[in-house]
Amino acid sequence: MNGTFSRLLRYGLAYRRLLVQAIVLLAIATGGNVLGPYLIKVFIDSYLTPGVWVITPIAGLVIAYLVSQLISAVCFFQQAIRFNHIALDVVQTIREQVFSRVMRLPLAFFDHTPTGSLISRITNDTETIKDLYVNVISVVIQNAIRMLGILIAMAFLDFKLMLICSALVPAVVGVMLLYQRLSTPVFQRVRTLLSDINARLNEGIQGMAVIQLMNQQARFSRAFEQTSTDHYRAKIRNMLIDGLLLRALVDFLYMLVLAALLFAFGWDFLSPEGAIQVGVIYAFLNYLGNLTEPMIDMISRLNLFQQALVSADRVFQLLDETPESIPTQPLEPRDGSVRFEIEAFSYDRRKTVLTDIQLDIEPGSFVGIVGHTGSGKSTLMSLLMGFYPVELGTIRVGEVPLDRIDPAIRSRRIGLVQQDPFIFMGTIADNIRLDLDLTDAEVEQAAKQAQLHEAILRMPQGYQTSLTERGGNLSTGQRQLLSLARTLARQPDILILDEATANIDSHTEALIQSSLMQLRGRITIIAIAHRLSTVMEADHLVVLHQGHIQQQGRHAQLMAEEGLYKHMYELQQQKDPLVGQGIEAGQDS
Amino acid sequence: MSVFWQLRWFFKEEWRRYSIAVLALVVVGLAVLVPPWITGRVVDAIAAGTLTLERLFINVGIVIGIAVLSYVMRVIWRVALFGASYSLANRLRRDLYRHLTTQSPRFFQKHKTGDLMARATNDIQAVEMTAGEAVLALFDGALTGILVLTVLVTQISWELTLIALMPWPIVGYFMWRFGQELHESFRLAQARFSDLNDKVQESVSGIRLVRAFGREGIEDDQFNAIAREANRANRMVARTDSKYDPAISLAVGMSFFLSVGGGAWFIVHDQMTVGELTSFTLYLGFMIWPMFAVGWMLNLVERGQAAYDRIDELMHTEPDIADHGTFEDKTAPELDISVHEFRHQPDGDATLTDILITVGAGELIGLVGPTGAGKTTLLDLILRLQQGPDVDIALGGHRLSEFTLANLRRHLACVPQTPFLFTATLAENIALGRPDASRDDIERVARIAQVHDDILRFPDDYDTLVGERGVTLSGGQKQRVAIARALLLDAPVLILDDALSAVDVRTEQSILAHLKAERAGRTTLIACHRLTAIEDADQILVLEHGHCVERGTHRSLLAAGGWYRRTYDYQQLERAVEDGR
Repeated sequence: MNGTFSRLLRYGLAYRRLLVQAIVLLAIATGGNVLGPYLIKVFIDSYLTPGVWVITPIAGLVIAYLVSQLISAVCFFQQAIRFNHIALDVVQTIREQVFSRVMRLPLAFFDHTPTGSLISRITNDTETIKDLYVNVISVVIQNAIRMLGILIAMAFLDFKLMLICSALVPAVVGVMLLYQRLSTPVFQRVRTLLSDINARLNEGIQGMAVIQLMNQQARFSRAFEQTSTDHYRAKIRNMLIDGLLLRALVDFLYMLVLAALLFAFGWDFLSPEGAIQVGVIYAFLNYLGNLTEPMIDMISRLNLFQQALVSADRVFQLLDETPESIPTQPLEPRDGSVRFEIEAFSYDRRKTVLTDIQLDIEPGSFVGIVGHTGSGKSTLMSLLMGFYPVELGTIRVGEVPLDRIDPAIRSRRIGLVQQDPFIFMGTIADNIRLDLDLTDAEVEQAAKQAQLHEAILRMPQGYQTSLTERGGNLSTGQRQLLSLARTLARQPDILILDEATANIDSHTEALIQSSLMQLRGRITIIAIAHRLSTVMEADHLVVLHQGHIQQQGRHAQLMAEEGLYKHMYELQQQKDPLVGQGIEAGQDS
Repeated sequence: MSVFWQLRWFFKEEWRRYSIAVLALVVVGLAVLVPPWITGRVVDAIAAGTLTLERLFINVGIVIGIAVLSYVMRVIWRVALFGASYSLANRLRRDLYRHLTTQSPRFFQKHKTGDLMARATNDIQAVEMTAGEAVLALFDGALTGILVLTVLVTQISWELTLIALMPWPIVGYFMWRFGQELHESFRLAQARFSDLNDKVQESVSGIRLVRAFGREGIEDDQFNAIAREANRANRMVARTDSKYDPAISLAVGMSFFLSVGGGAWFIVHDQMTVGELTSFTLYLGFMIWPMFAVGWMLNLVERGQAAYDRIDELMHTEPDIADHGTFEDKTAPELDISVHEFRHQPDGDATLTDILITVGAGELIGLVGPTGAGKTTLLDLILRLQQGPDVDIALGGHRLSEFTLANLRRHLACVPQTPFLFTATLAENIALGRPDASRDDIERVARIAQVHDDILRFPDDYDTLVGERGVTLSGGQKQRVAIARALLLDAPVLILDDALSAVDVRTEQSILAHLKAERAGRTTLIACHRLTAIEDADQILVLEHGHCVERGTHRSLLAAGGWYRRTYDYQQLERAVEDGR
């Protein structure tokens, strides 16, 4: 945990200039603030008590007082802004780093890490770090300097009395340590129980039908009540610790110090050489009040500190993950040929997903990969996209091993058309262009190739039509065509089409079909098809079953055999009798 | 403020704790007034030179006594007041949960989980703060303010009070303005934070696209731009937030300045002593908290009011399936089902029309048909998860509404379409309906449901935790655990609602064979998509658009050559493809 904290602090130290400015401003602000009671003391002791009324020095005091208060307020505001800038910039830096790291982690990492927890680390955990910086670290610095300033001013007035007041500091530090030790476990318990309550509630709501069907309402209610009551008890304990140690205790200490001060004043006055001035008493009492407030403030922020360290730890763990490796001596693929030589592939090294895949794809050919759900066709394409490393075997693209190609080159040479593409807010042209520097003509060319041009021209503002989030104003088919256009705009050597489900309408299918026919022979096309009709025309068809190649050849050849392909074809000629009628929203079967 | 009135039942119930809290607050409020007064007297005695050792000891003793007293009282009010408010939260949460257990599935369709969760967590917390912090602000803030003002005006000098308090209204105005500003910029910061969330969500779930297009750098740029916006919005918040402290200290400084200036005038004119002035400035410091307390309280009450109204609305929703039945005995597993017509919404289309089925004890009934045909609705009616005016269903000769709900459910065991497992061990999940079941019984039903071997492969076999913090089960495993769970109930009627869809055909056949042996004399209803599951059924009904379009046995339906036959042939071919033939 100590390592985490110092690592967090190092981020802040990068802003040395701002930090120095902030501390200097804070010192000035504190000075001005502390000066106030001192000036009043001078007024009381030198003018009020003796009854000396000289205009000029008194006016000087008044001006000094007003100016010091004003400067103090302005400086205080300015230093707070600087501390906040540092804090917020640190959080932005951490956010950028962790996001960038996540974007470059191997895909396997995402398979075993739930998306929700990843998002929460980049957003919520960094937000907690922000709170740590804004509400804890900068406040502690501010308060420490203020306390120091007050103690210095006190020492100026009366060293002995200052010593009495400074007894507060070790006492409060002791209370802090005690509080930390007592409160941390209880506080953690309160949080754990609260998340238990939420989990039970969530589960109860989602599984209520099951609970009712099993007649277990009473038992589940009792279990919930138990958790809720445990939480209540833990909160009471937490509150008791707060009550005994926080504000009440600091107030108590304050009054004790006040009593001690009064006694010291009185004692000083009664002793033979006593010469205590009333103004000193006035100033001291004022300072004392300002001394306790920052202390209470600091103690009550301790819980936040603990929590933020846990969050920071999680963020740093993510930052320390190893990103995907980039080849040191990258090679350029020569053409659009692909050669699969895979002995076996497994995601988890236990269950084999692909076995003995030997496949040669000529540049410019059109290959269809078909198979039932779970036959391994999407896995094969993921490997070609370099999403997962192949350990047993190789994939060569343009006669170069895939892992020797620079990822940036790879992603330009191999284009993937996805079923449900991401569409961001912006115009259609922007969505086709993405990050490339393309002319309008080139964008149009890509849209024409994807058979989307006509549809775009029919839209209100043509290529400048704004798309809503997730492409709500495009049909499913148009979204796919957009994805195709966007991929073609990058002029890949190899085009992969992943038609993961059968949910495309026949119109879109026909459009995609004719686009492919146009591209045929110019670039290599690999289509993963659920619907056989989209790939019937292919130069070569590969039929996968349970991770191996069961059949391959042209459509006519395969139809001549009594086998998997023929049966799949026949099955698709029929309509599934189970899917049919209008399904009412929310009402299944 | 009416939320206080709405909560009067609770204040009445907890009148002891609240009385103690208010009493302790009053004592603290009075006690803290003493030290400044004492201080003033000591200062005066020093200034006048009349201080004696004895008087000093007495005065210091009083301050120490007050310190002890107010410490004890502060702990007491805190424990009493917050203790009471915490128990209100506990109480509301428990009542809410209990109330939820009486609601039918329709209720849970209407209210989203997130919404219900928000009421049970955030809303209850807001009410808790109304009963705790808001009461504190009301009593302590207002009380302190009034007491201090009274002392200032009556004991020291009303003229000086007026002078010293001159800056306060101005500060009050600025506080109010900062509050508005803060609210607005905070809203913006929240919006930017949710942008950030959306962006991360998009990029992380689209990571494959990012890789495929080599967009890592662009994603970085987009994210950084949003992070920068978030930073800017947070700076706005910080900017406003940073104005509070200097504004207050400036106001306090001015107030002190005015009181010392004014005080000096009065001292010179012998209307006041230096000690009184000292007391006065100390009291002035006490006025800061009441200034905040009022605004804080209003804010808390406003939120608490809205929250309490939402909770109250939920608590007053009557369950739409009333539990008014009285029949508590056992009865034979025969069903007389007569659904003349059933609609989900009174003005909607009919989901089921003219369904008449008589099921004898020990029969196996198959329900098939395309998705959306009304199979689940029919089963829900039998389970009385839904009901309708033209629906007449009798179990063992008694109408369903005559049964107490608990007794009805003792007769029926159901495996729903989507199995739901709780965060608990596998054994506990199977023993959900019979928590006292022995391990032998649990293993027996797990064997019938063909999930025993799967369970033995988990790290702690039957004691393996499932759910978020435990192992994840496949769809088929979940279904089989749900079947085992239903079998353990040993109910006269067993209902499987498409409960074998994620199980392969071989396992399905072996589960059904075991079921047949196990459940002789008891009734079973199976709704399914795969016809292999109901080949042995005594009666098979084909539903389409809520009508019964075909009925008979497997053989007679195959011979009839209708929907059943077509589906059978299709599924034969589908199996061939699945097997790679």
